Amino acid sequence: MTFADQCRALGLSGLLAFGLALTGCNQASTDNTSSTTTNSATASSSSNSTTTTTTTTTSGQKGTYLIGMSQANKGEPWRQAMNDQIAAAAAKHPELQVVFADAAQNNAKQVADVENFIQQGIKLLIISPNEAAPLTDVVAKAYDKGIPVIVLDREVNGNKYTMWIGADNTAIGKMAGQFVAKWAKDNKANPCNVLEIRGLEGTPPTKERDNGFRAGIAANPAVKIIAQQTANWTRERAIPVSQAMIQANPNFNVVYGENDPMAEAAIISAKNANKDLSKILFVGIDGLPTPDGGIKSVMNGRLGVTYVYPTGGAEAIDWAVKILEQKQKPPRKVVLKTEEVNKSNAAALYKKYGGK
Amino acid sequence: MAQNSTAPSTAEPVISNPSGSAATANSRLYNVWQSALRFQSFFGLFLILLISMFASPIRDGHNVFLGADNLLNIVRFASENGIIAVGMTLVILTGGIDLSVGAILALCAVGAASCMMRHNLGTAPTVILMLGLGALIGVINGVVTTRLAIQSFITTLAMMSAARGVASLWSGGYAIPLEFGNGAGLAPDSFKSLFAGQINLLGLSIPVQALYFLIAGSVAAFFLKRTGFGRHVYAVGANDTAARLSGINVNRIRIIVFGISGLLSGLAALLHAALVNQGSHIDGQGYELNAIAAVVIGGTSLLGGMGTVLGSMIGALILSILDNILGLRNIQSEYQLILKGVIIVLAVALQRQQK
Repeated sequence: MTFADQCRALGLSGLLAFGLALTGCNQASTDNTSSTTTNSATASSSSNSTTTTTTTTTSGQKGTYLIGMSQANKGEPWRQAMNDQIAAAAAKHPELQVVFADAAQNNAKQVADVENFIQQGIKLLIISPNEAAPLTDVVAKAYDKGIPVIVLDREVNGNKYTMWIGADNTAIGKMAGQFVAKWAKDNKANPCNVLEIRGLEGTPPTKERDNGFRAGIAANPAVKIIAQQTANWTRERAIPVSQAMIQANPNFNVVYGENDPMAEAAIISAKNANKDLSKILFVGIDGLPTPDGGIKSVMNGRLGVTYVYPTGGAEAIDWAVKILEQKQKPPRKVVLKTEEVNKSNAAALYKKYGGK
Repeated sequence: MAQNSTAPSTAEPVISNPSGSAATANSRLYNVWQSALRFQSFFGLFLILLISMFASPIRDGHNVFLGADNLLNIVRFASENGIIAVGMTLVILTGGIDLSVGAILALCAVGAASCMMRHNLGTAPTVILMLGLGALIGVINGVVTTRLAIQSFITTLAMMSAARGVASLWSGGYAIPLEFGNGAGLAPDSFKSLFAGQINLLGLSIPVQALYFLIAGSVAAFFLKRTGFGRHVYAVGANDTAARLSGINVNRIRIIVFGISGLLSGLAALLHAALVNQGSHIDGQGYELNAIAAVVIGGTSLLGGMGTVLGSMIGALILSILDNILGLRNIQSEYQLILKGVIIVLAVALQRQQK
């Protein structure tokens, strides 16, 4: 039993130290080395995480702003990109120190994350909520304590937050639809048959990207969606889904994936079915500037076009600086613009969005 | 799934009884019912094939479901889950469970992509390292389960979390894309053809995934049926105290089956990475449940000691066919989830009637 206990204690403190060291890497603050050592030392003497994180706050230098970033689910690459962009933007401001929390798609965990941030004495909260209703109260609590709150992407209910920054899925879907409508006309595809791979039924982005797309293709009556299936936003699920769609509907001109990984999966399936890829247009959305992302895929000639669904990470830090340092009053709502990623501008956009 | 109506046509011959009293008729029916239950997974497969054939869309006079391409697709997608289910069957036969298979798949897929794309390793070292890693994680599952006397449900739940964490750190939070070709910074073409290619057999281009599935299943089935190891696996699952008293090294058997489960998850990871052209830390979520579903549909008891690898392989095929036909019919995935649930409950309900 003692052996087991030792293992557990060792493993736990080791993991904690390792995790903290990694978080430290993301931070720009100069004192991260000292805070990391403090934390791991406290962790190995088996105290709980709240006390260790409070140590970080008190060790923070005078004149620095501690910002809490509560992420709904770092497991999604798009949200990982949001965190990375926040970290990169904050790195340009040495006076900012950002601490990250990942709720792993769990509302209750995210409520606790925000409560922890409040305990740590954050000067500003950035939150990308997992869901609106469960997070509304705790966001209001922070706001009532005088902590400015920047909400990213998904919204919270009521008006107890400082500002919302996000993009418009319907507008992006519509741009994709208009592109397809024009492509069909230019390539004299009549009828132009579209296979649509949807995200997750019942989630707003799935519906909005579909509504927008339908509005966009309405410009050309030759364009028809002949089949649609959901694939849970993932490439692995979209492969069997698209394979069956292609078997059932071999005559198609366009695949519209509601995100890039699903469109990529359709390319793999089409290749397996011996389709002439040069005659098919593959459309995605998200346009992440990562090695596995949509921009790179357009650069490599796989996706025909994708649309950047901006994370708002960089903008959130811009506004944080304006709120904290320049005491500006921000607008309630900032809607971010998308950008079309095509063969001619992909390389430039990859650079612009910080792709490595 | 095994309905009375389909049973008599294929059931074992029943000794005819000219007197035909009510009692013997009943017992004859009972025998038929029992033999039907024994082969429930076959009947399930037969039934779903039949339904799919009739439900299939017809294009240009051809049945889309029965098209060679489509049938090969079904086998291709059954393979990953099927290979994992083979390992899962061994673990479940000993009375354990392995919840870490999906996470091991993610970790080994990330590892394979990292080896080839970042460290310029060739196909052979990558394969050896990743199969070794999978087996090692499985052995750790087994050692922790036996030495610390923790239920495998807990051990592998913990491993599921830990392996995914490591996969995420290793990949850096994004998928590592695999680009194939020859040269630095590219994954070798041989990896793609070895794990996602096709082989020409009798004029059909068979996906290699199907061969791995077949080999993994046959080898496991052979060892279970024909060797002492196999008998020990059943003995441990049926009654581990009795097994221990009769001189079987119960812990060693447990560690070996977890090792095999890990190894096969590693193999599935290689197939997965080659198919989706990436190694991603978020891949393979819910794969443990798909594998358990295949095992259960195949007639293996979660209590251990009873079941077959062949059943699990058929279970994986059934799930893949279900997925395929609903896709061909353009039916939403929600219904697939519901149907899967219904089929699992039916399979277990039938299993409980078996004597």
